[in-house]
Amino acid sequence: MNLLLRLGRLCFDSVCVPLGAPLRHASLVRMLVKREIAARTSGTLLGKLWPLVQPGLQVLGFWFMFAVVYDMRSRGGPSFLQYLLLGMLPWLCLSEVLSRSTGLFREFSVLFARSTFPLEVLPSVVLVIPGIVYSTALVLTTGWMLGVVAALKAVLVIPLLLLWCLPLLLLCAVIGLFVRDFGQVLPFLLTLLMYLTPILYFPDMLPERARAWMWLNPLADWMAVIHGALTDTVVPINSVFRLAGLWLLLLLPGWLLYRRTLLHVRELL
Amino acid sequence: MPETIIRLDGVSKSYRSYARDIDRVLEIITGKSRHQSFNALEPLSLSVASGEVIGVVGKNGAGKSTLLKLLAGTLQTSTGSLSIHGRVSAILELGASFHPEMSGHDNVYLTCAIQGLTRPETDAAYAAIVDFAGIPDFMQRAVKTYSSGMLMRLAFSIATHVNPDILIIDEALSVGDGVFARRSFDRIMEFRKAGKTIFFCSHSLYQVEALCDRVLWLDQGRIKSQGAPARVITGYSEFLQQQAAILAPAEPAAASGAAPVVAVATTHAGVPQVLNVSVRVDGRLAKVHTLQSCQNLVEVDIKFRAAANLPMPSIGVVILGGDGRYIASAGTLNDGITLHTGSDHSGSITLRFPDFPLLKGCYVLEVYLLCEQGLHIYERVRQVAELNVEQHSLELGIVSLAHHWLAH
Repeated sequence: MNLLLRLGRLCFDSVCVPLGAPLRHASLVRMLVKREIAARTSGTLLGKLWPLVQPGLQVLGFWFMFAVVYDMRSRGGPSFLQYLLLGMLPWLCLSEVLSRSTGLFREFSVLFARSTFPLEVLPSVVLVIPGIVYSTALVLTTGWMLGVVAALKAVLVIPLLLLWCLPLLLLCAVIGLFVRDFGQVLPFLLTLLMYLTPILYFPDMLPERARAWMWLNPLADWMAVIHGALTDTVVPINSVFRLAGLWLLLLLPGWLLYRRTLLHVRELL
Repeated sequence: MPETIIRLDGVSKSYRSYARDIDRVLEIITGKSRHQSFNALEPLSLSVASGEVIGVVGKNGAGKSTLLKLLAGTLQTSTGSLSIHGRVSAILELGASFHPEMSGHDNVYLTCAIQGLTRPETDAAYAAIVDFAGIPDFMQRAVKTYSSGMLMRLAFSIATHVNPDILIIDEALSVGDGVFARRSFDRIMEFRKAGKTIFFCSHSLYQVEALCDRVLWLDQGRIKSQGAPARVITGYSEFLQQQAAILAPAEPAAASGAAPVVAVATTHAGVPQVLNVSVRVDGRLAKVHTLQSCQNLVEVDIKFRAAANLPMPSIGVVILGGDGRYIASAGTLNDGITLHTGSDHSGSITLRFPDFPLLKGCYVLEVYLLCEQGLHIYERVRQVAELNVEQHSLELGIVSLAHHWLAH
């Protein structure tokens, strides 16, 4: 019974501590977001527009290559542009969060090494900007392409995706702290994963044998769920269960390792 | 009875040492210890009452900085419990959390947020922070454009305007130079007057003794002694002298330069300054003197300039032995002497040592220009002159005390 209670408590903490930090340290998180925007955009012509323009340019590049160059068309389903945008925006969000998480501790070491900085806010700081940028972009895009009802559903997509990737973020932060090469390898792995996931192509374009292995790729599940939910087609319940199961499986190890690592980071960096 | 504001029960701090990098990772994964510990602070218990000024002294590596960092919250305790009732602000590494691309304004809000202030609390303190730092025209500029002096002023201003209940000061009682150094010193004295708790760590034993209610002497991570400043500082000074004697009995440093009058050029506008200092023995001006113990008149002439907007300063003269330890001193504040200046705020004073009573040895003189309380140092003039004292008598020691023998 005690073990169950402890497990429940750990599960609760693993979500509430990192995600509740912006509420407990609202002023600090706001200033850290401002700091990040300043660091990213200082001295540029477009300034604070860059966080929005950058994903737009990436989508434009993929659209040009697959829709114009390869003349990708759907087989009676949604248009390719619609399919691309609904999948690509959540993917870019996830990719940005995970890429950044590998350098999470080093990036903020200046702040916490010599001040009373509350370390528990770090995961939320990484989530805030991509969360706001890609949520806005996805809601506007969905509203423009599929109408208001779909746009209202799209409001939930990025927050749920970020909640799901929280254990991955924590694990990537820990691995990135101890294995610096991981930060170099991860972008390659993410690119590989993007090509293995039906984001830039329709799932039915895959050979039958490859489709049979898609259940191993949680991002393929995410794509199926997002497209199903926003386009009012079938939401594969198996995909939902697989995603929830994987999340629960990674949540406790991710949180425990992250929490133990917090005791070391001030000595290490 | 004042309430306890800080309580340490068996608090220790040890740093982990791993034979291989992978051991740290394995320890995190398995939860089983794979490290060796280096104790920076042995288990320590301490209660600090609200309003107490605690001095911390000790050699480098004694654990002073570790203790201050534990109190400031930048380090976590390894064992024991540490309870602090109130907001802590530390003058440890000023400006460490500033982001160069952000404006001074945003860095104020960022630093205050790290300190735990809410937005309204920071709004309320903002005007005072800017006013004290004295850089209102620069607050919207990125701090990367600030001079190091401006950065320090802003950081100090933030640290002392977040309404702390406990102020932690590592080494310097004042920061910056010139007028700001005096203002920062006054600011810390305001905290003392307001009954705030202060932890002050310094190698300046004179300041620790003058300022603190209680002194902690740390040695090798343990409290070696604590209590009344005079007692602890005396013990610590003796310890330092023994250590110095064991390590290397140093020869006195030769007084630099040959000019008999030390003209002081490092001046800051708006604060008192030493104009020049000279030392005469029996009226003869020189930089290096040879004299006979208990026979010559030594005079130290000091010309200074006071500041129109500040109280009249005080002056101290210190005689150091060849190993750098203090042999004797004289101060206008201690002797109840008030300095006087003319219409141009400059003045002069002479300190006389008739029949100079030190026994054989080599001594160096230093002159200090201090605030009216004798705590804040405006100017320190090192190696004003070197006195090589010779002796014909057989007296032992360093000083010939006035004495009488009564035959019965």
